[in-house]
Amino acid sequence: MSRAKLIALFPEASFGAALNCVGIAQALERQGARPVFICHEGFKGVFSDYGFQEYHLASGGSLTDAERDEFWQAFIARHLPHFRLSPKEQLSTYVAPTWDAIVDTANRAERPLQRILDSLRPDAVVLDNVVMFPAIRNSGLPWARVVSCAETEIPDPAVPPYLSGCPTDDEACHRDFAAAYAQAVASPHERFNRFLAAHGMSRYPPGQFLETSPWLNLLLSPDIVRRRRKYPLEPERFVFLNGCVREEAPSLLPGFPRNEDSPLVYVSFGSLGAMDVQLFRDLIAAFSDMPYRFLVNVGANRDAYETVPDNVYIDSWFVQPSVVSQCDLFIHHGGNNSFGEALYYGVPSLIMPYCWDGHDNACRVGETATGRALPRYGWPRAALQETIGGLIHDAALRRRLADNARAMQAFNGTAVAAKAILSLTDGSRS
Amino acid sequence: MTSPANRGQRTRAHHVELAQRILDLVSEARMKKGSRLAEQWIATQCRVSRTPVRAALQLLAQQGVTEYRPGEGHRLAVDPRTAPGVDSRLPEPPEEILFGAVIRDRAARRLSKTLTVSALMRRYRAPRTTVQKVLQSLAEHQLVERAPGQRWVFRPNLDSADAVAESYRYRLLLEPAALEHPGFSVDGPRLASLRATLESLLGMPADRLDVHLFFESDHELHDTVARGCANRFIGDTLIHHQRLRRLSGSPVQPNLHRLREATREHLGIINQIEGGRMEVAADLMRIHLRLAGEQRPKMAHWGAPAAFRGIGDGR
Repeated sequence: MSRAKLIALFPEASFGAALNCVGIAQALERQGARPVFICHEGFKGVFSDYGFQEYHLASGGSLTDAERDEFWQAFIARHLPHFRLSPKEQLSTYVAPTWDAIVDTANRAERPLQRILDSLRPDAVVLDNVVMFPAIRNSGLPWARVVSCAETEIPDPAVPPYLSGCPTDDEACHRDFAAAYAQAVASPHERFNRFLAAHGMSRYPPGQFLETSPWLNLLLSPDIVRRRRKYPLEPERFVFLNGCVREEAPSLLPGFPRNEDSPLVYVSFGSLGAMDVQLFRDLIAAFSDMPYRFLVNVGANRDAYETVPDNVYIDSWFVQPSVVSQCDLFIHHGGNNSFGEALYYGVPSLIMPYCWDGHDNACRVGETATGRALPRYGWPRAALQETIGGLIHDAALRRRLADNARAMQAFNGTAVAAKAILSLTDGSRS
Repeated sequence: MTSPANRGQRTRAHHVELAQRILDLVSEARMKKGSRLAEQWIATQCRVSRTPVRAALQLLAQQGVTEYRPGEGHRLAVDPRTAPGVDSRLPEPPEEILFGAVIRDRAARRLSKTLTVSALMRRYRAPRTTVQKVLQSLAEHQLVERAPGQRWVFRPNLDSADAVAESYRYRLLLEPAALEHPGFSVDGPRLASLRATLESLLGMPADRLDVHLFFESDHELHDTVARGCANRFIGDTLIHHQRLRRLSGSPVQPNLHRLREATREHLGIINQIEGGRMEVAADLMRIHLRLAGEQRPKMAHWGAPAAFRGIGDGR
């Protein structure tokens, strides 16, 4: 009997990437492989909860709980105001510092990652990140890149710049943002190139922190929001998954004292997005007199809410795919995972972005008529309520999304991903 | 994830459904008025544990379909072929409805920490006597306590991540101790029917997994351990805590993998209890509670960008 192929998945420490990779790992297991996870220490337990072996990247330093709380309070205080800014304004305040930190993370991860890869010697590596780790390329192992952000992550002259939120046909916006981006990230990019050189790799061109894999690149982007490219991606190396949703058990929905049996709206801006308690209080107040039910993911701050209306239910965690499959509208931040899950289950999105590729998806949701977008801040209450009602009662939109959902589910992106990854290990792809 | 009241409603719906299944069962078995209804026989036939069977029989007794006599159990009070269907609209006692609603609404943060009788009367359109009875009952369960000025205050309940973590640590001390204490009383039929429920759960496909049944079986196992304990103090405190868990509801639904693993762990514990290997059962219970306690609540604190987390950890 042949040995099961060992696949090492290395997602970045964000829930989107982590849980996409769980879906792929579930499919790999069904196809007879042995998926394992390499992860940052902060994500310890996420993958073992799903039954997968974890290997942790030692960070070389750890904080006490009190120090961690203090760090997070400072982080929130520093960045909450930045989430009110435009994508271009965020370049210097949020995006560049984030790239700086990402470069630091890559630096710290390099040696532990080398050691793990040397001892594991997997048949293939799956990297779901936005930055390159030389240990992967230098290992000589076949590796796949998962593009779990918006499709803008893979540049093309016909596609708006990554993180810009520019409309597809607004070339002036593209040029303006691209120039500002190059300037803003020049310093972390230079540091990154020195890091690459120190590990025997060539410099990357300006603005690039991760190359496409010469073996396989998996793009989560659903077909319904796919971009038209000037230079089409080679289908041998670039596989579109048309969504990538993990398997979960059905969720029990809570009861509501008011509006029971009315349309259900799920609201989640991710854990970071949930840190703005005042925004959530404003949203909940706006929801309170609407004829719908709302499930609101308030992240770690559940205890900060004391007077929740009878048609709203708050919690720190929801089994998202299962909840989305049962709701009539999904209000989210434009995270690619959330957008993909909404489409996978035929649910319209109302995107209220605040950072990163959420801006790109907020623009795309309108261009593809798969939902609508509103600014995260400054919305008049009436406009928010009208938008929510309009999306819930748009029968034509629902029919179109339901047709698309059937196609996505039939395509089975996680299985397609697993099959493509396993093809790296049997010599059928080189 | 589900709120306690919603779970209460679902539990009642399950009991109504089970009561109807019992009626169908006795009719198929050609039972007649006066026939004895053995809980274990029904539990085996319906592939559920005895706790919901008891509740369903109680429902049938309330509707005059069965008659209960202490020491004898339930007998059919009517000919099942002529019995009407189970009336699912049978009202619960108002105090019971309000009791569940208050706990549910506090867990969902719809009620603030401080209560007054008049505020509860207004919110629930309930008479003063009903509200007072419910507050008394909540106080007996140590869920509220009196405060100055005609007010009541909620005591800490199992409705936050910290409280749930504390609950696991508490159970980790006491549930293995309950199993290891000499004289543990094994309720064989109850464990056998629970085994049947757990095995049926493991046979369910992912998309049709009955999460409600999982929570019911979880309660059933831990309640069996509490009730089997020969040390009355450990047993009583665990029974009280299990009731608190049931009323408060679990704030977090485990993922599919964990649901199945927990079900297997429950089966492993039952195997050891049935085999009389109580120390091994206690060890398996420790492992089970440790794994269960490591679930999701902590995840609410994750999810910030990796980069910033990296800075925080590496500082």
